[in-house]
Amino acid sequence: MTKIEPRVDGRAAGEVTARTIEVAAGPSAVAVLRVGAGRPLLYLHGLCDVHSAWPGSEPTPFVAGLAERFDVAAPALPGYSGGAPVSALHDMEDYVFHLTDLLGGLGWEQVDVVGHSLGGWLAAELALRRPERVARLALLSPLGLHVAGVEVPPVFGALAPRGIGGFGESRRLLFADAEGEAALRVLPDGMAEADQLRWFTGLAGAARLGWKAPHFQSRRLAERLHRITVPTLLVVGEQDVLVPETAARAWVEGLAAADLFEVPDAGHCLTLEWPEGASEVAAYLWR
Amino acid sequence: MNFFSFHLMPWPYLAPPRRFLAEHEAAWVTLSNEEYDPVRGRELYERYLGELVMAEELGLDGVVVNEHHQNAYGLMPSPNLMAAALTQRTERVRICVLGNALPLYNPPTRVAEEMAMLDVLSGGRLIAGLVVGGGPEYYSYNVDPTEARPRFREAVELVLQAWTRPGPFAFDGEYYQLPYVNPWPRPLQQPHPPVWIPGLGSPSTISYCAERGFGYMGVAYYAPPETFARQAVAYHQAVAAAGRPYDPELLGWLTTVYVAESDEQAVEEAAPHLAYFQGTLAAGFVGVGKVWMPPGYIDPPALVQFLSDLRSMVGGARPSDPKQAVWHRSPLIGSAATVRERLLAYVSELRIGTVLALLQFGSLPAALTAKSARLYAEEVVPYVREAAEKHFASLPTGSPGPGS
Repeated sequence: MTKIEPRVDGRAAGEVTARTIEVAAGPSAVAVLRVGAGRPLLYLHGLCDVHSAWPGSEPTPFVAGLAERFDVAAPALPGYSGGAPVSALHDMEDYVFHLTDLLGGLGWEQVDVVGHSLGGWLAAELALRRPERVARLALLSPLGLHVAGVEVPPVFGALAPRGIGGFGESRRLLFADAEGEAALRVLPDGMAEADQLRWFTGLAGAARLGWKAPHFQSRRLAERLHRITVPTLLVVGEQDVLVPETAARAWVEGLAAADLFEVPDAGHCLTLEWPEGASEVAAYLWR
Repeated sequence: MNFFSFHLMPWPYLAPPRRFLAEHEAAWVTLSNEEYDPVRGRELYERYLGELVMAEELGLDGVVVNEHHQNAYGLMPSPNLMAAALTQRTERVRICVLGNALPLYNPPTRVAEEMAMLDVLSGGRLIAGLVVGGGPEYYSYNVDPTEARPRFREAVELVLQAWTRPGPFAFDGEYYQLPYVNPWPRPLQQPHPPVWIPGLGSPSTISYCAERGFGYMGVAYYAPPETFARQAVAYHQAVAAAGRPYDPELLGWLTTVYVAESDEQAVEEAAPHLAYFQGTLAAGFVGVGKVWMPPGYIDPPALVQFLSDLRSMVGGARPSDPKQAVWHRSPLIGSAATVRERLLAYVSELRIGTVLALLQFGSLPAALTAKSARLYAEEVVPYVREAAEKHFASLPTGSPGPGS
């Protein structure tokens, strides 16, 4: 494990270089993409932008954008390639323990947290249960919130593989433009077997949290949301079927201090369809 | 040597594969139950039960029912109800429930209770099949697939203890905590009914069966027979590794069987119904459409391999000769002489002591089912039984199977 000293000297100069290191998180070793310099920022990936945390891979343009102003650590979430095994993680409490262990491994007391999709749910639960560890929060199309009366498509049903015909249904669930460059890069119909293995490994990891609470929706989060008091930016894609506008408004109404930003022409996989948004998110966290 | 008649009790009134798949993604989970007509359903149950009862009249050794949920593939969400009916309509045959999907029962002591009832009701004729449950069932019941296997294994222990340990006792597991386990009735067979587990070839299931002395019943309706042969060899090796004597009857082959007056006639009569079974009803877990295989239900490398095999199977070139096209995946379709010869070859070579024949499949109508079942029972089974038993007796007891 490479020990990384947090830097607090503001902007980084020069180009962004990324490296993946192993960080101890309690009993597990987690692959963490490290990139940028400046104030520490924990980036928790979502269902689609998992390649940002794959060992040896490059950051997504969104994460690279954040790294222009932050010292970013983007861990592989539990169950994903490079992440902690989920066998010992039974519920959200265990996941939050895992994240605080990870912050310990990074040597970070308090950080800004940006969480997207599944990572958005985790970021919110971390801020809820360990408020002293989170300075500011940005939730990008966060899963996790059950809103009575708001129906979402059965996530895992739509993500089920097909014998022949590729990943069109998955792309339609997750992207505004199912045949766009971003969607086809992550979920091409003729996906290589090594990438399929990563994708299905990640989905199995995500299912650990997202299956029992159907559609990644906690029945307890709504009544607890007001306990998150840090300034929070909430960003959703206007075409997101998993976090529709009514759900986004429920987030904002429930949170103690939140601002809502809606992105036209983006679906659930916001960071891939709106990579330029990194600078807006960074600006919010810096203000 | 065991010859069992296995029934899925399928819904036969959907469209043939090409037309069906143009309109539906699968025959499981999301195919609307508006397609189900209870009036026709009532006739079907009567007919299908009769086809199982006929197995006793024809001199077969047992009947098999199984559990599936929210689909057109098999109309037995509760196979125990069918088994209960069979206890009242048969006198001699073994009744195998293959099986109850333990993670779908909470607590699984329910299974211990119902199976004990069946064993007592039937006079000790039950064979207890225990199963993880199919992928689609995890969607239909919203049971967490990421813990399916460990939950299943623990549930098996709970059921076995419920049958064998004097109650009341406390069960303190990872998934089930029960302060009072004390089911009435207890099974008639002692210490408990035989346990069989169906499988699609997962190495961990095969070695689990071998280690525990459970029967391994390989499901082989879809894949070429070589696929089952690999499972059989893996089972032989696992039994040898477990240090157990080899009992052929604990290795089962679930396969489609159709016997007619000639090979040509058999293929012609069976082909459209086999296509309906493999193309329409199996759409949902085997086929070109949606594969209801939930995340974490099998290891991701096994899932990628499964999808790859599936694509080469359904996407590969099919032989143009109609006989070869059918035999590629379903070798036991033919004249009595052909089926006899092939079945004996597989049984002897792979030391299969239990043949679970799907004598009705897909949309195969009653008259053809009855005709084929009679030919199978009268002209295939006695010959294979005698030859196979002679062959098994000639092998040294406990010798490892071929390939080990």
